[in-house]
Amino acid sequence: MNSIQHRLSLMLGTICCLLWGAGSLAAYLAVRAGLISEFDLALKTDIQALANMTEQSEAGFKFDSTGEFMPKFQREDHPDYFQLWEPDGSTLYRSPSLEEDRDLPQRFGTLESPKFWNVALPDGSNGRAVGIRFAPKEDDDTPRTPGAPPLTKEVTLVAGFHRADLDNRLHYLGTVLLLVAIALAAATALTVKVIVRRGLRPLSTLAQRAETIDASSLQLRFPTESVPLELLPIVQRLNDLLARLEASFARERRFSADVAHELRTPIAELRTLAEVALKWPDDVSPTALKEALNIALQMESIATGLMTLARCEGSLLTLRSEQVPLRAVFEEAYQPLEAKARAKKLTIDLDMPRDACWCTDRSTLRSIIGNLLSNAVNHTGPATSVTARVEKNGAGERLLISNPSKDLALDDIPHLFERFWQKDGARSSPEHCGLGLAVARAYAQSLGMKLEAELDHAEVTFILSDATPCNGA
Amino acid sequence: MRVLLIEDSARLQSSVGRGLRKAGYAVDISGDGEDGLWLAESNEYDVIILDLMLPKLDGLTLLRRLREKQNGTHVLILTAKDTVENRVNGLQAGADDYLIKPFAFEELLARVQALCRRSYHRKNPKIVIGDLEIDTAARVATRKGKTIELTAREFRLLEYLAVRRSQVVSRSDIEAHIYPDAADLMSNTVDSAICILRKKLGLSGASTRIQTRRGLGYIIEGDPA
Repeated sequence: MNSIQHRLSLMLGTICCLLWGAGSLAAYLAVRAGLISEFDLALKTDIQALANMTEQSEAGFKFDSTGEFMPKFQREDHPDYFQLWEPDGSTLYRSPSLEEDRDLPQRFGTLESPKFWNVALPDGSNGRAVGIRFAPKEDDDTPRTPGAPPLTKEVTLVAGFHRADLDNRLHYLGTVLLLVAIALAAATALTVKVIVRRGLRPLSTLAQRAETIDASSLQLRFPTESVPLELLPIVQRLNDLLARLEASFARERRFSADVAHELRTPIAELRTLAEVALKWPDDVSPTALKEALNIALQMESIATGLMTLARCEGSLLTLRSEQVPLRAVFEEAYQPLEAKARAKKLTIDLDMPRDACWCTDRSTLRSIIGNLLSNAVNHTGPATSVTARVEKNGAGERLLISNPSKDLALDDIPHLFERFWQKDGARSSPEHCGLGLAVARAYAQSLGMKLEAELDHAEVTFILSDATPCNGA
Repeated sequence: MRVLLIEDSARLQSSVGRGLRKAGYAVDISGDGEDGLWLAESNEYDVIILDLMLPKLDGLTLLRRLREKQNGTHVLILTAKDTVENRVNGLQAGADDYLIKPFAFEELLARVQALCRRSYHRKNPKIVIGDLEIDTAARVATRKGKTIELTAREFRLLEYLAVRRSQVVSRSDIEAHIYPDAADLMSNTVDSAICILRKKLGLSGASTRIQTRRGLGYIIEGDPA
């Protein structure tokens, strides 16, 4: 199972166990080295004592085996051993415990730094040997020839001692350390699991919370209180994402409902009109056909708007960039609306240089301006004024079309360019379906421009920016 | 039967209103929620056909306000909102039926008829009084298999008296349920209509009689078979 908790527990547990094992081994080796060193020190003392019992004179070597030190080499049960060789390799003395035909191996160091090694003792048990080569002291009791050189001949002494005590202590130590390491490993595995689980609890809580969120509960958010610092950015981003998803779903639902209304209502109108006319053919209203035509035109307008949006989104518009005189295009776009504007007693204030000229597609720009003007003429109150002006906008220019709007609120501005959005929730106007501004924005994007809206002091302004002026036109 | 149609689409107002009238209903029409609520509270309707997306006051709020005031008129929601959530909300707000646009006019008619029957606690579309049989679905009255020729309004009057058989039906009740615009009624319009209906029933040989209870109204009775 690919689980962070499982992997962390396994890795931490393994590492801790390895560390405990290595620590125990290191402790064992250190204590072992200390014990052996201590043991060897005792052997060194013993062999030096044996060396002190060896003397030399001009007549040869002598070993004094009468010292009180000797009993350990004489006992029957697990005796120790030593053997002393003369310089010519013949045995000078061997401990009573060492049989004649069983020599000890000859390895040696100096008196100050003896040679130590493990050895199988003649009785078959494990032992530790120590060997030195040294010049025995002179025998004070034997007179020397005056003027004779000092006696410097060296003998070899090797002693083998039982190490059962040492081995028992090392075995005991090893067993204790092994048991401690196993116990620690078990405790570590348990502790690591608990600690990892506790450490990952905020992540588990996050996961459980995430499991409860689906398309029907996008209003839920992840709590940010008491979230660890490491998870806070994730939680915040998730909450942002949920907010955007919720808004997107709401927009989608609204879009579906609006589409349903915009399409179902005219179909219902047409169907009822036809069914009633067919059921009572003698009483068909003379305006019925005209109504049917109006319904067809309304549905055609919706279909055209949707197809235009689809073409813009699919980059299927055929655009031809040319020098477009702005004032002329504005007048072309205003002309079909003039009668309606006059009927509403609207004034059009045009603040636009006569030579204002943009490099763009003429018919698409006319559609955008026509949409914005139509929106202004239809939605502004009677006897008000619609203003249009051109401004510098960095390296480019922008067109601003403003009109008073009492109905719009600031909250409405982000929805203005949504498909089928209408301020009137009842969507009772058969003339408008709420696609005009969405189409205008899609057109603007196709031309590489931006179309935005602002509301200030009950006046809405549509800003068409990022236009490229034609220099020297 | 009197129906209130609350619908903001002028075209639907016109075509549905005309169709219902042709089918024999008295129809009042309102184009927005506030006006619709006022009409629903001011008059007695057998069925209200209610759109949900309405100007001034949305359909669901209108419905809730009606129910809060203990108005039990049967309400059929006629809307383009088609999700399960919409339907559940509408029915839970107190609607008796829910029809999604676009719709078949015959279906709307059948549902309105069914709601009208429920208004008078009937399930069978046929009413039999003596030897007179009134088929409210087919909108024909027959005696022993022979059709009695009646105009739409005459049939409505007969149907209204029939669904309230054994009850004295006041003139004002008849005016409210049969005549869409009571203000234009002449004082003897109902009396004349009853008179014509009696004559047609009499000519058909039906044993069913419409009797006048002076100062109270009219009652339809049939001889026991």
